Amino acid sequence: MAAVREACVPGLFTEGGTEDGGAALLGARCRGCGTPYFPAPSHCRNPDCAASNLQPCRFGGQGTLWSYSVANFAPPPPHRYDEPFKPYVIGVVDLDAGLRVVGQMVDGVGEVAVGCRVELVVAPLFHEDGKAVTSWKFKRI
Amino acid sequence: MQEVVVLGVGMHRFGKTGDAVVGNKSVTELCRSAVNAALKDAGVSWRQIQAVAAASSRFSGGKGWGLNGNDVVEDFGNTGIPVYNLSAGCAAGGNAFNVGYSLVAGGLHDMVLVVGGEVMPKGMIQTSGVADNNDPEYLRQRCVGMPGPAFWAALARRRMFEHGTTEAQFAKVTVKARKNAVGNPYARFQSEVSLEEVLASPFVSDPLRLFEICPVSNGAAAVVICSAATARRFTSQPVTVAASTVATIGFDDALPRSLAGPASSGHGYHTEAKAAVLRAFEQSGIGPRELSFTELQDNTCYYELAFPEEWGLCDAGEAESLLEAGQTTPTGRMPINPSGGFVSFGEATTAMGVFQIAELTWQLRGQAGARQVPAARVGLAQTNGLGGNATAAILKR
Repeated sequence: MAAVREACVPGLFTEGGTEDGGAALLGARCRGCGTPYFPAPSHCRNPDCAASNLQPCRFGGQGTLWSYSVANFAPPPPHRYDEPFKPYVIGVVDLDAGLRVVGQMVDGVGEVAVGCRVELVVAPLFHEDGKAVTSWKFKRI
Repeated sequence: MQEVVVLGVGMHRFGKTGDAVVGNKSVTELCRSAVNAALKDAGVSWRQIQAVAAASSRFSGGKGWGLNGNDVVEDFGNTGIPVYNLSAGCAAGGNAFNVGYSLVAGGLHDMVLVVGGEVMPKGMIQTSGVADNNDPEYLRQRCVGMPGPAFWAALARRRMFEHGTTEAQFAKVTVKARKNAVGNPYARFQSEVSLEEVLASPFVSDPLRLFEICPVSNGAAAVVICSAATARRFTSQPVTVAASTVATIGFDDALPRSLAGPASSGHGYHTEAKAAVLRAFEQSGIGPRELSFTELQDNTCYYELAFPEEWGLCDAGEAESLLEAGQTTPTGRMPINPSGGFVSFGEATTAMGVFQIAELTWQLRGQAGARQVPAARVGLAQTNGLGGNATAAILKR
């Protein structure tokens, strides 16, 4: 059954399509010093940057799993999940695009290993009112 | 700059709300107990205190505004002295010590009370809970669901990848810590745990188990500091502050603190903790291999392995073999947390930096009983807290 999909927070990521490279985080990169940011700040925060020149930047595609942990217990609000709680893997991923970012893994406990290759996807966090509320996640490739 | 001496220390045993140790005592009552003990240990009266530096909590006391120092002063009697309320997450006690130290070292005040106490809310420490899409911590909980222990667990898992640390080795850190605390009347947990018990405790965030992560506790600690010149009237064997430092996170920090940052190829470590500690070595002229012992922030056992390596107390990858050879016990060659550490005390966030100073002082005086580090001459204390705060202090005899 196809559910309406809604981002858990608007403007942070996109499902993308075949034309624009697919799922991506909507961040920024400073043209002055090259620092990537997600989410996008109002100005470059590198103390050694000569002149802030932030441009919107999409971060998606593939990466390597730097590390991971498991949420064995349900985190407190504002995190939401479908009952009953099922432990999930949290990945810390070094995207090839140069961003180290955290996100849930689509893969289950025991199915990932440090150093494995992953890709950014958009997937449901929880469901409510017939909607699938989504966030970015990572999937082993 | 004046040389600064730790003249007196005191503590209220740590416990859990409702238990026989802390019961339903308020933060002010816990602090009162610690401050009275510190004043008595120093041999000074409340009237002689010229300023107060207090680690102040957002959780309880301080009229809800983190004004715990004012609660203490009101409780002991308003003498109109300066009060500094410090906020730095779990590093607040260390910040308070640094401010107190700076007041004395700078010659501004010559008998200063440093105090930290906490009555913690139940369960895991939460974010502020305010729905704010500009707050990366809020976003991290909303979009990912990654509470504090999951951060520590990711670091632990990375260490397993970088150094081959096993689950049993993480568990052995807890076994050692709890064994140290048997000799500590102020620890919340004063009984040993076996390796089997630790490994049987449930995962909080795989690979870290319940017994490997410090719980939250209520507790308080206080120290009285003064100039070395004044201390000569009280003692012929002063415990001197060789260094007191505070630092914050570097822009190049590669740990997953919020949602995202630049990827990095090097070893990821707490830049704020390393900066504070290395500055303390520099300030004191004492090197990492000259320490008699260290009290470091062990929110989880991972830190007992990573921190000593990152600060140069031992070589990279050496920590596990030192642990297994018994070298991190009080009688070993690199004693870590002879007090029993956070895992035996539980964390009362604002008290921790001050509790460490008390432990360092007892050790250097030879008053640490069953957990005594033999011939202790110099000790290092370190904390780090939310916001990228860190502190370090080196005390010597």
